[in-house]
Amino acid sequence: MFSRKQNSQASVSSDMANKQKRYEVLVLALHTDIFRYACWLVKNKTVAEDIVQETFLRAWKSLDSLKDEKAAKSWLITILRRENARRFERKQFDLVDIDDVSVIDDQLSNEVEIEHRELRAVMGSLSEEYREPLMLQIIFGYSGDEIAEQLDLNKNTVMTRLFRARNQVKEALEKANDNRGRENG
Amino acid sequence: MDELEFRRTLYADPNCNDERILAAITDDPKKQEFHKELKQLDRSMKLASQVKVPDDLVHKLILRQTMQSHRASKVRNRIQLAMAASVAFVVGVSFTMWQQYNLLNIADQAIAHVYQEGSYALEAQNNVSLQQVNAKLAQFGGEFTEELGPVYYANFCDFENVRSLHMVMQGENGKVSVFVIPHDDAHNAKSEAHARGYQSQAMDAKRASIVVVGEEGSNIQGVKEKLKRNIHFSA
Repeated sequence: MFSRKQNSQASVSSDMANKQKRYEVLVLALHTDIFRYACWLVKNKTVAEDIVQETFLRAWKSLDSLKDEKAAKSWLITILRRENARRFERKQFDLVDIDDVSVIDDQLSNEVEIEHRELRAVMGSLSEEYREPLMLQIIFGYSGDEIAEQLDLNKNTVMTRLFRARNQVKEALEKANDNRGRENG
Repeated sequence: MDELEFRRTLYADPNCNDERILAAITDDPKKQEFHKELKQLDRSMKLASQVKVPDDLVHKLILRQTMQSHRASKVRNRIQLAMAASVAFVVGVSFTMWQQYNLLNIADQAIAHVYQEGSYALEAQNNVSLQQVNAKLAQFGGEFTEELGPVYYANFCDFENVRSLHMVMQGENGKVSVFVIPHDDAHNAKSEAHARGYQSQAMDAKRASIVVVGEEGSNIQGVKEKLKRNIHFSA
């Protein structure tokens, strides 16, 4: 009787160790992209960090429900989006608009910063319905089908939004170039 | 594929692998240029999207979950402790009940004693005085304060391995046997019995139990009440 109890305890703790290992692998592999996606979703680094922590805590609690590691990415994105939605139920934050993306700018390496400051401002100024599918495509390399599934949207809708998103980015960049040209000239 | 559809498709996904798109690109240098431009824009956006991740984020994520599972295991320990406590409680209660169930029924024992002994005590005519009774009862720290009426026999006896006082006295109708037994937790001091033509009642008198045995149908209640009023124990 006692030896049986010890065995079951040993297997419980080895289950725990397995879960711990799975979780750590998940964190190491995906936290960077998940955090960046969160930043672009909420346009505020501090809030993004909070949401990412909540997301991974929830992931830990329900890790057993994740059967296939390949689905981990979209599983985490789903949790993240739900956490973000809950944030609005709880409280409306005053968000820093990404037009003055100083929060994000400071953290980038110099080269990238100078080269892409303008681009980031433009990306941040996209409305959420365009920005979200675009960032799924850019950060996670998702296909149109995958984005449609993740956001629970029709694929045609997704493709239209992606088209408009890039269109707006290009137009904004061209306009900025024109302005600069005029100022310089 | 017309120009508009071509542009829309590539705008939506610059890395699109649609054969018609790829075919259109190979045939047209202008489209190749357009395709290259869009891919360049995507590369730039990818770089621009790369917000620096706080160095401690990984540790926070792993630490928080460790703390969470630590809390969970503490809760689990509390539950186990609570379950162990419940089991101990149930065992305790059932043991107490079992013990009570197994209390010695002294009323039964008294009848058996009287029956076994036969006429030896019942037919004695010793006319024991109150002082003599009290002298024996003093062993148990008790005394009778009033006359009991005729007492025919008073002596120590062995009552289930306990030294007790055995008396025979006059009841309302016939002789009754009275046992004064030192208090014992294993005794059920409030029992009644009927057997072999006798009836008996036990009562608790603080430091001793008193059992009255009379013939079936006789009134032993009166003797019992009288004794109860009469007996006193020194503190």
